[in-house]
Amino acid sequence: MKTVKILGPGCANCRKLEAVAREAATSAGIEAEFVKVTDMKAIMAYELLSTPGLVVDEKLVSSGRIPTQAEIRQWITA
Amino acid sequence: MDTFLHLMNGGAGNLAAYLAAHVLLCLLPAFFIAGAMAALIPKASITRWLGRNTPYRVSYPAAAAAGSLLAVCSCTIVPLFAGIYKKGAGLGPAITFLFFAPAGNILALAYTGSILGAEFAFARFVLCLLFGIGIGLLMAVLFWRDDASHDAQTDTLFAEQASIGPAATGVLLSLVAVLIAGTLKLWPLTAALGAITLPLPWAEAWQATLFQWVPFDAAKGEEGVSVQGSLLIALLLLIAVTAWKGLENIVEGANRWTWIALGLTAATLVVAALRLTPRADGLEVALTGRALAVVLAMAAVLHHARRLDADAWRGWLWEAWRFVKQIFVLLVVGVFVVGVVRQLIQPEWIQTLAGRNDLMANAVAVLFGVFMYFPTLVEVPVAHMFLDLGMHRGPLLAYLMADPELSLQSILMVAAVIGRPKTSAYVGLVAVFSILAGLVYGAWVDGVNPVWIAVGLAAFVGGLVAMLGWMLRRRVATAHA
Repeated sequence: MKTVKILGPGCANCRKLEAVAREAATSAGIEAEFVKVTDMKAIMAYELLSTPGLVVDEKLVSSGRIPTQAEIRQWITA
Repeated sequence: MDTFLHLMNGGAGNLAAYLAAHVLLCLLPAFFIAGAMAALIPKASITRWLGRNTPYRVSYPAAAAAGSLLAVCSCTIVPLFAGIYKKGAGLGPAITFLFFAPAGNILALAYTGSILGAEFAFARFVLCLLFGIGIGLLMAVLFWRDDASHDAQTDTLFAEQASIGPAATGVLLSLVAVLIAGTLKLWPLTAALGAITLPLPWAEAWQATLFQWVPFDAAKGEEGVSVQGSLLIALLLLIAVTAWKGLENIVEGANRWTWIALGLTAATLVVAALRLTPRADGLEVALTGRALAVVLAMAAVLHHARRLDADAWRGWLWEAWRFVKQIFVLLVVGVFVVGVVRQLIQPEWIQTLAGRNDLMANAVAVLFGVFMYFPTLVEVPVAHMFLDLGMHRGPLLAYLMADPELSLQSILMVAAVIGRPKTSAYVGLVAVFSILAGLVYGAWVDGVNPVWIAVGLAAFVGGLVAMLGWMLRRRVATAHA
């Protein structure tokens, strides 16, 4: 079971990222728990300079952009 | 009931006037530029100058550049602010970045210029830059102990290097060319190169109907809706429908609707740059130098955009569309509300409160800015309303500096990152400096000798440099002690 965290204060890109990540998980057939992190202090605990950030199993895989479904599938199946 | 209709009419009239040609020629390219900045400028190309060991003369300008180029939206402002403060160059540059971002970004600049005039936009830009660096330095001096305690941490976050590619540079520059070609009020852009009359006999009657629907009073600075305006509004509605289908999932690839939406956007810009005049025998269409320049600049955008890789141009279109969704809707509602409120405010109130450029008027303007919170860019039509109602341009600038910086929301956000004492100091400094900026610009408008203004600003910069020297000595002394 993977844990996927979406880091972001609730801006449009964060919602979009969550939607893309959920679709990627479904299409890859992987069960994942999705956690939205909106608290700024918790977000800044990761090494990023702009949101939205994507964290897979406590590892920051992307920040400041929306990755494609293919990219996310790779990260969560790795 | 009559009053209600009157108010609704004020709102609709204001909205229609804001969707007129000159505003669209500025806003549409500005949204695409903002999108390109967010998607095509690698953040590391600027953040590499914001690390802990960067000298002051580099980190402060870099912080201002980051505010101008990277921080078009709150997704970047808060994390970058917290990052610079905690893990990078420290409190001073972080404050400079935070202060300059709302005034220095392309959307705010272009929009201020098109609504309130280029001179005003320029003054806002220069004074915000100068005072943004000033406030940053002052904060760094006031809380110099604080940064010293952060020095032990690493700054790997800022070590990454990147530079902007040639295709992206080409796209950005040609988009700026579209913006300039569309907005500059200069010959040969304003010259008519030729005209044809389309056989549309209903054009004049349609114009009369439009003026009847949205009555306007030119003496109060109101604009009516022209035939051209109604055509542009129709085009905008079409773009809204097609863009929703074409751009919502652009990250996964383009579809037929994407190209229709982009084609319509280009068509809107060309129509806005033409000059349409209804006559008795039909609609006269004048080809202006502006229309030609806009078409050429758009061709340049297309040429460079074709060299971008798929991820880059999809990202660019997505960011541009996201800005439109996030800002344009609120802007439309805001402009409507401003039009309604304007009918309720007596010009005498504004003239008594802020009709002159004195300390009192500037302080009132700043106070209003602190307690009011308007969504991004809506502060500009609000300022336009005050200007029409007789507010002096000095206090107006003071208001425009304070409003986007100091809303309750932004103060809470800053407090969460740097704590209450520093936030209070920051709010106080912004208030003082906004009043100062209003007084300086107001004096300029009133025709005070520019030499005196230059001497005053030079003394200000000199004072800052002296303070910085003092701070550096203190830090060195503490480090040795």
